[in-house]
Amino acid sequence: MDRSSGLAAASLWSAALAAGAVLLAQPAAAAEMGAVDEPIKIAMLEWTGAQISGQLAGQILEKAGYKVEFVTAGNFPQFSGLADGTLSASVEIWLNNVGDIYPKVKAAGQIEDIGRLGLETREGWLYPKFMESVCPGLPDWTALQKPDCVKALATPDTLPKGRFLDYPADWGSRAATIIADNNLPYTAIPSGSEGAMVAELRAAEAAKTPLLMMFWAPHFVLADAQVGWVTMPPCKEQTNDHCITPPDVDKIVWSGFAKKWPAAYDILKAFQVNTEDQQKMMLDVDKNATPIDKVAAGWIADHESTWKPWVDAALK
Amino acid sequence: MSGPGGAIRARTVPPRGAAAAHLAGARWLWLVLACAALVLLRPALPWLSAFPPDWQLPVAAWLNGLTMPVFSWLRPFGRAAALLLDYPLGGIRAGLQSIAWPSLVLIVAALALRASGWRLAAFAVASLTYVVLCGYWRQAMNTLAIVAISVPLSVAVGFALGAMAHRWRRLVRPLEAVLDLMQTLPAFAYLIPLLILFGFGPSAGLVASLLFSAPPMVRNTMLGLRLVPADILESGVMAGCTPRQTFWLVEVPSAMPRLLLGINQTCMAALSMVIIVAIIGGFDDMGWEVLSAMRRAELGRSLLSGSVIVVIAILLDRITLGLATIGRRRAPRLGRRGLARAVAAALVLAVALRILGPAADLLPDASGRNILEGLDRALLAFVGATDAQFNLLRGAITYGVMLPLRIGIEGAATPAVWGVTLTPAGLALYAGAVGMIALLLWRHSRAGAAAALLAGLLLYTGLPGFPWIGFVLIVAMLAHAGAGPRLALVAAAVVAGILVSGLWLPFMQSVYLCAIAVAGCLAIGGGLGVWAAQSDRVSQVLRPVCDALQTMPQFVFLIPALMLFRVGEFTALIAIMLYAIVPPIRYVEQGLRGVPADKIEAARQMGTTPAQLLWQVRVPLAWPAILLGMNQTIMAALSMLVIAALVGTRDLGQQVYVALGKADPGLGLLAGLAIAAVAMVSDRILRGFADRRRGGATA
Repeated sequence: MDRSSGLAAASLWSAALAAGAVLLAQPAAAAEMGAVDEPIKIAMLEWTGAQISGQLAGQILEKAGYKVEFVTAGNFPQFSGLADGTLSASVEIWLNNVGDIYPKVKAAGQIEDIGRLGLETREGWLYPKFMESVCPGLPDWTALQKPDCVKALATPDTLPKGRFLDYPADWGSRAATIIADNNLPYTAIPSGSEGAMVAELRAAEAAKTPLLMMFWAPHFVLADAQVGWVTMPPCKEQTNDHCITPPDVDKIVWSGFAKKWPAAYDILKAFQVNTEDQQKMMLDVDKNATPIDKVAAGWIADHESTWKPWVDAALK
Repeated sequence: MSGPGGAIRARTVPPRGAAAAHLAGARWLWLVLACAALVLLRPALPWLSAFPPDWQLPVAAWLNGLTMPVFSWLRPFGRAAALLLDYPLGGIRAGLQSIAWPSLVLIVAALALRASGWRLAAFAVASLTYVVLCGYWRQAMNTLAIVAISVPLSVAVGFALGAMAHRWRRLVRPLEAVLDLMQTLPAFAYLIPLLILFGFGPSAGLVASLLFSAPPMVRNTMLGLRLVPADILESGVMAGCTPRQTFWLVEVPSAMPRLLLGINQTCMAALSMVIIVAIIGGFDDMGWEVLSAMRRAELGRSLLSGSVIVVIAILLDRITLGLATIGRRRAPRLGRRGLARAVAAALVLAVALRILGPAADLLPDASGRNILEGLDRALLAFVGATDAQFNLLRGAITYGVMLPLRIGIEGAATPAVWGVTLTPAGLALYAGAVGMIALLLWRHSRAGAAAALLAGLLLYTGLPGFPWIGFVLIVAMLAHAGAGPRLALVAAAVVAGILVSGLWLPFMQSVYLCAIAVAGCLAIGGGLGVWAAQSDRVSQVLRPVCDALQTMPQFVFLIPALMLFRVGEFTALIAIMLYAIVPPIRYVEQGLRGVPADKIEAARQMGTTPAQLLWQVRVPLAWPAILLGMNQTIMAALSMLVIAALVGTRDLGQQVYVALGKADPGLGLLAGLAIAAVAMVSDRILRGFADRRRGGATA
């Protein structure tokens, strides 16, 4: 049944293409709705930010007349789902943490990257604010070279060097390379999981114990943590291994998405999330325990002028 | 020793004469000498301590090359099966969700009443109301939906396999090996193949849970059928039963209690695996909730969702166990007809509620969970207040125990770590002390003296720095002593395989982490077990604690351990110990309590002190049970390796995650197989020792 309606949609699409070719003089033709009876399955990843983005995208699609289903999905397993259409779209993919599976399915043409989500991101070396009295001179990276600072950060695992809390081993990391590039007396310790990093940051704040770690923003834990970011030394080479650049956050759809739901494809392509708005919503979810769907619905109600044009452009 | 006589002797108790013991002692001594020579030769021959990379083989790549074509060939079948599974799963899920919760509580309470009595029924009502109040009803029902599909499948498959093995005895041994593998291979190791085969979604998790929960059913089926008394079978034959009739009308009914026990164990295994494989996602269930809480490092939320799982597990356990023993007790409180009436009433209620208003509205929203934020704040305040003390504890154990095992005394005795350097005099002192201990043990047992010397050597070099040839020799000797030459060969092959595949360092990290964890668990858990065996009150307090530690999703332990001890191996150690401490408590208590009263009485009359009674009478008599407990401790510690990798380790468990991130099924399978192989070999060795001991005790 799935396949036959897919075929139907495909023939519709080719008909639409033909029509588009005939009416080439017209600017952007309105897209077909496609398979409105079949739900568009949007991935709900583990973290609040991505869940908000997913809810926003899904609710806008619902406003446009689509059926939407929100499906929980693990960050790595989701790519198997996106590759075969079990999941239709995942709108907040951090390209710095996609493992090797993302390039594999992308190279195989099973998924399609439909552009940036619009989040202003940040990645770098982070420390709790009180560290500025432990290592005077922070946020400049040279402060980390001072022996007192190294000593404060040293642990039994890393003696005599200081301890740098790195991303989990399975995420891939540049910290060790950058540490070596600048002859910094630190050892990068992989953290194992995001939860471990969050726990470390919270415990360090509570106990005022020194901590230096790799981290990224926007992140919900930063809403109530006092932190600073290290001003990094110049990169030895302008490559991903030696340099930290703000990670790209993209929207990914299953390769058959555009054929099956042409208008939805256009809407998602136009879909953008503003960093400030997302942070406000995250705070609402995490602090006031408002359910995510309600928070997202609130944004939809207040920002019709933002999203309505995306829908209108697709449907005309 | 060839011919039939040799075979018989190998199966029965080996000779335990003085000459044989002397011979074994001499063999151990040779081993010590060989290892000492290897340690001394290290500076001259560096390839002794680090396995040369040139000798490694790309085993992971081979595994990929071997398995990927098979997977892609099987893929259409897997997808078809997933599609087939999706329908009943979706149906049950929708059914459970659409029945208003009061109706379901009524049904479960009626089941509990039939299974056990009013107390369990009251517990069922209370615990399900708790689930509702926590705001986890929807997720709990989704979890139950997977369990509800996976258990009947596991039971059917398990029963069929068990019955086949009973019919064709030749299948027993290979089947047991496969079952061991299914139970010891960490699920994350075959997550990628499962995703390839069955696609994204709950079906992949369902299959993982099937793989993990079918083995107890197979084992119980084989055992139950084997234990059917011969006279019952004969009377069946005399009555003129065909083989098929004998099986269904004679064997299966009389094996029924065992089969029902198997169903109970299958239920528990399925539930625990469903929680773990929630990492795939796709179903919005309890496991997902636990994982999300772990990811956010929220203790309150993770404890809450963990407690919901514990409550469900206890309910499932007691109800299935009660239903399993129903025939052996007095008439149940609630008859079949009563149960049917209760279910009918509940369904009518459900329909009525449906008509009156949407069922979902009966559920409170999740805002009740907010109270638990207080728990997080309390934990952080506790961390802030006690950080110095916990830091001291972590430092003491890290410097005193973990570092010597990891980098050895030769590595730890440096200004940077211990603040002292190893002088020749210090080294001589150390050697002398080890020698003294060995000498003291020599009279008692030669093997003990050899073990002391080996431990001294291991402590000196640290586990990863110990010559690998020596390690292979030690493992082979242990396997030989425990279960004979065949296992010695298998064990040596396993270790050699790990060496060749380039997983030696992660493997040694795993061994060292597990060794410390197991030793700690045996010391603390064993002590608690001894205490519980002597005091009923302690036993009563410990039992629910043990239940909770074993059914609580292991992820929950990670958060407080992380906050108190930070990322690193020490935290991993704590998390492993929290899970693996349960078997020593249980088995030691059970073993000590199981010592026959007449033996204790006899010892008392001879005037033993309580300490003598414990160490010279009860512990030796309970030794087989204690060894089995040790076995279970090792299994539990190994199974926690993958979970503990989430707090940052460098062991085989971490390799499983790295493989997951790289989408490299070969590496994941290889690391998982290494863990499973270690578990299986150590299981055989310890079982061998336990059997021998038991044989010796009865002989």
